[in-house]
Amino acid sequence: MARLPREEWYDIARDVDWDLSYVDYDEVFPEWMSGTGKVPREAWAEWDEPYKVTYPEYVATQREKETGAYSVKAVLRKSRVFDQLDEGWKSVAKQHFGAVALVEDLAAYAELRMARFGLAPAWRNMAVFGALDETRHAQISLYFPHELLGRDPQYDWAHKAYHTSQWTVAAARATFDGMMMNPNVVDVAVQLPFTFETGFTNVQFVALAADALESGDINFANMISSIQTDEARHSQQGGPTLKILVEHDPRRAQWVIDKTFWVSARLFSVLTGPAMDYYTPLAMRKQSFKEFMLEWVAGQFADQLQDYGLKKPWYWDEFLAGLDTWHHGLHLGVWYWRPTVWWNPQGGVSPAERDWLREKYPDWEDRFGPIWDVIIGNINAGQAGLTLPATLPWLCSLCQLPVGTAGSPGNQRYPVRSYPLSYDGRTYHFCSRPCRQIWWEDRDTLHSPTVVDRVLAGEVQPPTVEGLLTWMGLTPEVRGTDAYGYRWARAYPPGDPGPAGDAGPAGDAGPAGDAGPAVTEPSNGGRPVPVNALFAGDFVTQLVTLQDTDTVDQAASRIAAQVVGRRVRSREAGLVVRLGGRVLPGELTVAAAGIGPLDSVDVSWDAGRVGER
Amino acid sequence: MSGRVGPVLRMSDDVDAIVAAIEDDNPGQQVTVVDRGAYTRVSGEGELRVTRASIERHLGREFEMRQFEELMSAFAGRIEMTSQEVRWQLGG
Repeated sequence: MARLPREEWYDIARDVDWDLSYVDYDEVFPEWMSGTGKVPREAWAEWDEPYKVTYPEYVATQREKETGAYSVKAVLRKSRVFDQLDEGWKSVAKQHFGAVALVEDLAAYAELRMARFGLAPAWRNMAVFGALDETRHAQISLYFPHELLGRDPQYDWAHKAYHTSQWTVAAARATFDGMMMNPNVVDVAVQLPFTFETGFTNVQFVALAADALESGDINFANMISSIQTDEARHSQQGGPTLKILVEHDPRRAQWVIDKTFWVSARLFSVLTGPAMDYYTPLAMRKQSFKEFMLEWVAGQFADQLQDYGLKKPWYWDEFLAGLDTWHHGLHLGVWYWRPTVWWNPQGGVSPAERDWLREKYPDWEDRFGPIWDVIIGNINAGQAGLTLPATLPWLCSLCQLPVGTAGSPGNQRYPVRSYPLSYDGRTYHFCSRPCRQIWWEDRDTLHSPTVVDRVLAGEVQPPTVEGLLTWMGLTPEVRGTDAYGYRWARAYPPGDPGPAGDAGPAGDAGPAGDAGPAVTEPSNGGRPVPVNALFAGDFVTQLVTLQDTDTVDQAASRIAAQVVGRRVRSREAGLVVRLGGRVLPGELTVAAAGIGPLDSVDVSWDAGRVGER
Repeated sequence: MSGRVGPVLRMSDDVDAIVAAIEDDNPGQQVTVVDRGAYTRVSGEGELRVTRASIERHLGREFEMRQFEELMSAFAGRIEMTSQEVRWQLGG
């Protein structure tokens, strides 16, 4: 039977719509959901998707995609491919499944919201396909790891992760709720399909597939690149929406893109950055994370922005500079706090890997080398306990990633520090100026308490590292350990770089890991004063609880105990404490010195008495 | 701004035929092909197209344009897809 070409009937069928007479238009498409703002309602009639597909075509194509993905899986199931995969690589997959599977489910709801409240029939039609796509993605991302459960309980987190408040999940949830669930659908279309799916998901789903295939994980490479073929289509809801929004309200368009781009860049630095530059085996790396980001995001996405008459975001230089540092700090953080994640981070700083890092990132050695040297020294001196956490990094109130990781040690332009904000009677800490500004502008839709906020609010009991791990749902058998039992560190010659010295002027770094000390309560007496503490040379700021009866010198020792001998080499030198840049006398009490809860407290070596041991 | 547009093809047996079809359909264009294993980035300056007829000629079998979606995991530029061709462009 001869069929009409799609072009001859598609637009008529697609644009079927009718005028409402029994109900008010505003009741069916309320502003808070539909979000037309300054755009006249009639302008949405121009909405035209560039990537056209009919329902019969959609079904036929999806069926073929599914058949392809599942038949590859069926064949590989009988092989021993999985057993031969590198442990570091397996961590990439475990991290991906936990971080992504149920976000796909969330995205189905975002698509359904557009399918219901989008202001053009063509848009609603395309969003229906998008919702079906995302349902497929959630299902395939749960089904593939499910068969691995019997081999490794960490795969359980493919489904479990989003039912917990584990800190990276809390960060992702805050980001995606702000992107998909909280805003109106015009903002959703610009944030999710345009900014996120055309800008960022390509790095995780297409670029990472290159590393996956090279690492021998054919199943994973096949699955994620199959998923992304759907994204290439339904992400095209973003363009037509953006085109109309730019015409009527360019300021809003620019802002929505700018804020989403920033939080997405932060999140991908913890998701994709460590996977590409540390977990993927050295010989299998196709490009560095920075190179992939330049190819897919800084290049391709920036072209898109210009094509729509928009500018690069105001923080563009800071974002580009961050490609050299953010994910290195985040990798260091995830590795150091490894019991708090559901995968086994590969240290990835053997001498050969270090050479690769120095080649790809010329400043890496100056920024992060000294910290890794202390860690390596401790491992090789049989003091691996000093490479495990006894407190928490402070988490940014917007991106929920450790404060400090939007900068790096020894970096004049973007130092390790907090960007605080006093609001409504409390102090909020941010990793960067853009995070602070975005939160301030849109805190109604973006604010979500961090794990540190929850600890401070008394939700975590007992407030110890063990109590926190249990609260985050991390049962002992899934807590992360070094993927290779520190094999990478043992590749350094004995005595090089040498032990880090003792645990600092306090002489007591405390036991680490499971039996760690309380993170919010002082050991005795006084009233607790939780502060956001930075020790000079470290890569993050941390939650340290002082007592108001401590002297400033004692407070300095408490803070030093979390860092010195752990990540910063010990010295024969005194300590200086600063509050708001002002040096505090050592003999005053914390209360008398004016240190209050949630203050930023900086500790550094006394420059007058420096001398390395 | 680089101004380069075109598809990113996922791994499949058909990649070589698609690349050949794109080269046929864009005479005078410098078509760049970057092979990264799991994906192949095909790009040209400003505009690139591929037709169903060329794809069928190079594959040696029938091909419905909708099936292009199964091969393409991403693309650069703005896309326009009909039942006979796909076009990618910037500055349109």
